Amino acid sequence: PVLPEGWAAEKDFKAIGSISASTQRSIEPVGPHFLAHARRARHKRTFSEDDRI
Amino acid sequence: MSAEEASTNGTTLGERTAIGISFGNSNSSIAYTTIEDKAEVIANEDGDRQIPSILSYVDGEEYNGQQAKQQLIRNNKNTVAYFRDYIGQDFKSIDPTHCHASAHPQAHEATVAFTIQDKESGPQSTVTVSEIATRQFKRLAKSSSDFLGKTVDSAVVTIPTNFTEAQKAALIASAAEAGLEVLQLIHEPIAALLAYDARPESKVSDKMVVVADLGGTRSDVAVIASRGGMYTILATAHDYEYTGVHLDKVLQDHFAKEFIKWNTTDPRESQRSLAKLKLEAEATKKALSIGTNANFSVESLAEGIDFASTINRLRYETIARKVFEGFNRLIESVVKKAGLDVLDIDEVILSGGTSHTPKIASNMTAIFPPTTTILAPSTTATAINPSELQARGAALQASLIQEFEKEDIEQSTHPAVTTVKHLTNAIGVLSISGDESHGVFTPIIATETAIPARRTIHINAPKEGGDILVKIVEGGSHIKVSQVEKPSKEANGEDEEDSDDDSDEEPEERREKVWKVGKVLAEAAVKGVKKGGKVEVMINVAGDLGVTITAREVGAKNGVRGALSSP
Repeated sequence: PVLPEGWAAEKDFKAIGSISASTQRSIEPVGPHFLAHARRARHKRTFSEDDRI
Repeated sequence: MSAEEASTNGTTLGERTAIGISFGNSNSSIAYTTIEDKAEVIANEDGDRQIPSILSYVDGEEYNGQQAKQQLIRNNKNTVAYFRDYIGQDFKSIDPTHCHASAHPQAHEATVAFTIQDKESGPQSTVTVSEIATRQFKRLAKSSSDFLGKTVDSAVVTIPTNFTEAQKAALIASAAEAGLEVLQLIHEPIAALLAYDARPESKVSDKMVVVADLGGTRSDVAVIASRGGMYTILATAHDYEYTGVHLDKVLQDHFAKEFIKWNTTDPRESQRSLAKLKLEAEATKKALSIGTNANFSVESLAEGIDFASTINRLRYETIARKVFEGFNRLIESVVKKAGLDVLDIDEVILSGGTSHTPKIASNMTAIFPPTTTILAPSTTATAINPSELQARGAALQASLIQEFEKEDIEQSTHPAVTTVKHLTNAIGVLSISGDESHGVFTPIIATETAIPARRTIHINAPKEGGDILVKIVEGGSHIKVSQVEKPSKEANGEDEEDSDDDSDEEPEERREKVWKVGKVLAEAAVKGVKKGGKVEVMINVAGDLGVTITAREVGAKNGVRGALSSP
């Protein structure tokens, strides 16, 4: 993916769209990765905040 | 993980000893997790790891497991079997078919009960199914306490995905009566998946998994999106027509007919002969899963005549073909129900006792593409014993949560935490070579990923380096069917299904999974990439569907960072 001539954007980033579709589903509350997710959700932490702890 | 699991060797009061229980209609098993975090299945005092879910009473004494199963021949009226699915049900909604040969279920107030002689003398007692379950839990708890040398007081129990709230509540109450605190009820297919994912050699990945739990009286199939170690069930099916007992029936009928050839009576007509036939048919079926030949012999089958015969696996596979095909259809139908194609499936886990059958696994290799891993003893050398998967998964979950407060477990499993948005389309980068429509899509976050989610990939920059355009797009997969020219010679004699390995002969139709590029989300420029360099792209999707994208050259400090607002 070579940058085409004359491509320019503020700070080199151009936002074009946003995610179009999603569905509500239930995750199974099982396994270490879910427990990590539940911990983040309950403390309203993001991934990077969680990494720091 | 982190701080919450820190203290393991504290000896505070109220510390639990938890096990995993897989409680089935036909068999139950118990497992614990060792200090090295390895799940092990516990054998009961009879040495059985698959403990028949049967209770029997002789002269006021209680027998369970294999010993109770033997009582189905002489003492069937005081033997209770196949009761798990009756728990928390009213009499009208149960199917009593499998209990014909043992104590019959009957309506009792709002629940189901059995009339059995469970005391040495006096009248018969009416015992509710909840009480029967409590007695079964007590036996399982005792076997595990004896093995572990300390009192087991809590457990994670596996349940089918279609258990109602009433069934769940009744199961928890029965266990509580037996002195077992149920920390959590987890779904059977998820337990099987966890047992595989917890192995040290397995890596967390994004994969689509089919778990086929083929049991004695029911077969349950689930399609699960496994995304970063989190599981979402996309579709399930439950079947009561194609199960282990139907395979037993095939063998019963086969040997009964053979018996009639030489004798006058049909052993299926007397209760006791039928019970003997049934037990031996199951034993022969198990032997045929291991060896290619098996014996069938029953002492005094009918009319006081002994009967002995043999059968080889090939013959068995021929007479049981209808049942095997039923399993195939069941599994294919669930994949379809999930809106997927067999090409989308990365892994098939065969779980449950009937999954030991080699033919079922080899049928799976024919249905699914060669890229799909079929996890069964006969197809994968490192496969875990299918009978042990659920108990192991439950034990692993038990060890993860046994130090949690009850409240913590409840809050974590609350729908507010578990119900989240899942992506309908994959998000990835598009590598463009000239025309935009010919771009190659590389997925970064797979479809059906629960959000929030974060993924990072490394993509190769063009050889000459320079300025790079990172184009983030949505993508959907679809199945492309293309006609392939037949090899010149006449059509192959054998059917495609018959040949396990059809890689050298061209199929007429080639079906492949291709990505269709959807909406463009963002573009970013990474400038001055070195020759042969790589670009790291990280995508973070927040709970509100807002997206943060970071792109930088591997090794470089600064990159491009941008955000997309939520829709």
